[in-house]
Amino acid sequence: MDSLTALLDGFATALQPQYLLYALFGVFIGTAVGVLPGIGPAMTVALLLPLTYSLDPTGALIVFAGIYYGGMYGGSTTSILLNTPGESSSIVTALEGNRMAKAGRGAAALATAALGSFVAGTAATLALTFLAPGISKLAVQLGPADYFALIVVAFLTVGALLGSSVPRGLVSLGLGLFLGLVGTEVLSGQQRYTLGVPSLADGIDVVVIAVGLFALGETLYVASRLRHGPVRVIPVTKGWRSWMSRRDLARSWRPWLRGTAIGFPIGTIPAGGADVATFLSYATERKLAKGNARAEFGRGAIEGVAGPEAANNAAAAGVLVPLLTLGLPTTATAAIIISAFQSYGIRPGPMLFENQSGLVWALIASLYIGNVMLLVLNLPLVGMWVKVLRIPRPYLYAGILAFAGLGAYALHFNVFDTFVLLLVGLIGFLMRRYGYPVAPMVVGGILGPMAEEQLRKSMAISQGDLTYLVRSPFAIVAYSALAVIIVLGVWLKRRKARFEASGAEPITASLPASEEERK
Amino acid sequence: MTVPLPVPSDAPTSGGTPARAANRAGPPVGEFVFAGICAALGVYTIVGAGFIRVPPGSASVLGPRVFPYAVGVLLLVASLVVIAQVLRGHRGTPDDGEDIDPDAPTDWLTVAKLVVCFSTQLVLIELAGWPVAVMVLFAGAAWSLGAKRWWVALAAGLGLGLVTQLVFGAWLGLSLPAGPLLDWIPIFHG
Repeated sequence: MDSLTALLDGFATALQPQYLLYALFGVFIGTAVGVLPGIGPAMTVALLLPLTYSLDPTGALIVFAGIYYGGMYGGSTTSILLNTPGESSSIVTALEGNRMAKAGRGAAALATAALGSFVAGTAATLALTFLAPGISKLAVQLGPADYFALIVVAFLTVGALLGSSVPRGLVSLGLGLFLGLVGTEVLSGQQRYTLGVPSLADGIDVVVIAVGLFALGETLYVASRLRHGPVRVIPVTKGWRSWMSRRDLARSWRPWLRGTAIGFPIGTIPAGGADVATFLSYATERKLAKGNARAEFGRGAIEGVAGPEAANNAAAAGVLVPLLTLGLPTTATAAIIISAFQSYGIRPGPMLFENQSGLVWALIASLYIGNVMLLVLNLPLVGMWVKVLRIPRPYLYAGILAFAGLGAYALHFNVFDTFVLLLVGLIGFLMRRYGYPVAPMVVGGILGPMAEEQLRKSMAISQGDLTYLVRSPFAIVAYSALAVIIVLGVWLKRRKARFEASGAEPITASLPASEEERK
Repeated sequence: MTVPLPVPSDAPTSGGTPARAANRAGPPVGEFVFAGICAALGVYTIVGAGFIRVPPGSASVLGPRVFPYAVGVLLLVASLVVIAQVLRGHRGTPDDGEDIDPDAPTDWLTVAKLVVCFSTQLVLIELAGWPVAVMVLFAGAAWSLGAKRWWVALAAGLGLGLVTQLVFGAWLGLSLPAGPLLDWIPIFHG
C-alpha cells in the first residue's frame, strides 16, 4: 500500500473530533507532567498507563503519542526556568538555556526550544513516515535467528551504554531478565520462580516493573536527598514580542536543522537514545559557533539551546522507527510504550503495518497533529507551566506515589501487584543510590521473554545447531553493527566525560558575574 | 524557611556544609550489600533452573532450563565484577535530578517513612476503600517529605482520592473499591 494514501487515511481517523480531543488531552497532560521536575518522559508515560485500561486502542495510542511528545517539550521548560545549581551540567539544554534565562532572555530560550522542537519533530516524523513502511517490509522476511540477533543487540547496547559503568548496566539488565523469567513457562506449562504464589503464575506485569522503577523508585530516591526550601523559578518577561527577535531566528534555524539531522539517526539505532544526540548536537554547535556567538557559549548562547532541543525531539521520533517496525524498544520510554501496546494484545513489529495499518497510521498522523498543538499550547501557556513548576515538592511527590499505587492496583485489582510494586520500587531506589542505570532493567523485563521464545524457535528449526544463529546475512550484519555501536558508544561516552570535565570550568567561572548583574 | 528535617541516620549533620566527600568516607557497605544481593539472586536463578522439569521427549531442542541458566550466570558474573570494581575503588555515581540536592547525604529515615506510608495501601485499599487509602498515603507521604500544614495534606489527599475514584472508578469504569464509608452513595458504584 502506498504510504501517502495510508497516511491520509490516518489523518482522516486522527482528525475526528473525539481523537483530536484525545490528542489535545495527551499533549496537555504530557507537557504538564513533563514540566514537573524529576519526572522524565519515561515516568510520565508509566504514571499515565492506567488510562489505557479503559480507552479503545486507537484513542489510547493517540493519547500516548501526545504524552510522549508533550513530555519532551515540557522537560525543556523545566531545565530552562528552574534554578537548580549543581545539577544542570547533566542536561545539555540547561547549560545554555538556564543561563539565557538568568540573563533575562528566558522567553527567547523557551521560544527557540519550542520552535526547534516543532521543526525537528515534524521533520523527524516525516522521515518516520517514509522509512517505517519500507523497514517493516524488510523485517517481515526476518527469521527467528535474525530477531534473536536484534534483541541481543538491544540488550547489549542498552546494558553497556546507559549508565556509568558497563557491569552495573549488565546487572540491571540481568535483574530485568530475571523478572521476565518469573511466571508460567510456555512450552511445558510449568511455573518458574513463582515460589508457589498463584498471582505470580501470569508473570510480573511490565507495567509494575516500569511504574515501580520510574515512579516509586525515583520518588524514594529524590526523597532521600530532597532539596529543601522554596522552589526558585527564574522569571520570564511577558508578551509575545519578547519571544524571538529576527536575529534570534537567524541564529536558530541552522542549529535546528543540524540537530534534527543528528538526532533522528541516533534515535533509530539502539545507542543510548536522546542523551547522546543532545550532547553531540551541543558539541557540534559549540564547535561551529563563530565570533560573538562563540564567546557567548557558556553564558547563554541561543545555538546551544536550539540545536540540542531539536536533536532531543528528533531522537524521540527516531526511537519510534525500531519500535513500530521491529518491536524493539531502545529506550526506557519506548519499553513502556510497548507494554501499552501489549495490554491490547497488539504486538509491535513487522506485522504491525500489515495487521493494524489503520491504527499505526492514525498514530503517526496524530504525531503531526500533536506537534502543531504543542507549538500552539506551549508558548502562550508558559505562565501556567511556571505555576506547575512551583508546586510544593512534598505534595508533588505524594501525588506521584498515589498515582503509582493506582497504576499497580488497577492492573488486576489485587493488592499483590501493589506489593510487587513496592519491592521493585525499593530495588529502583537502591539502584539509583548506587549508580546502576534502571533503563536496562525495563528493557530486559520486556525483551527477555521475547528473546527466549525466538532462541527456542531458531533452535527448533536448526535441530540444535548453534551456528544457525549467525548464518543469515542479516544476523551477521546485526552482530557486526553491535561491535561498531559499542566501540562508538564507549568512545562517545569517553568524549562526553572529558568534555564535562574540561567544559565545566569556564562555565562555572562565568556564572557569578551574570548573577551579580541581575541583583 | 527551614523545615524541621528528620535527622539523616548515616551522615554528619553539623550545620555547615555536609560535603559529598564526608558522605563518601568509610567503607561502601551499602554498595557491597546491594551487589551481594544481586549476586545471590544470580545463584538462586542458577540453582532454581536446576529444579525446572525438562519434559521427556519434548520436540523442542532447547529446554526450559537453558535461558534461566544464562540469566543466572549473567547476573552472578556482572555482580561479581561490580564487587571487584568497588573493591578497587570504583564507586557508583548516584543519579542526578532537578529536585536532588547534590550535597545532601542519604536520608534513610524519610525513605523508611515513605515505604511505611506506601505499605498502608496493601491493607487499606480493600479494607477502607480507595479514597481513604489515597488520603492516608498522600497525607503520610507529604508529611514525611516535610509538608508543614498536615490539615492541608489531609484535605488534598482526600480530594485526590475522591477525584481519582470518580474519574477512574465511575467514569472510566475501573472497579476501584469505594469502601464502606462511601459505598451507599450511588455515584461511587461506577
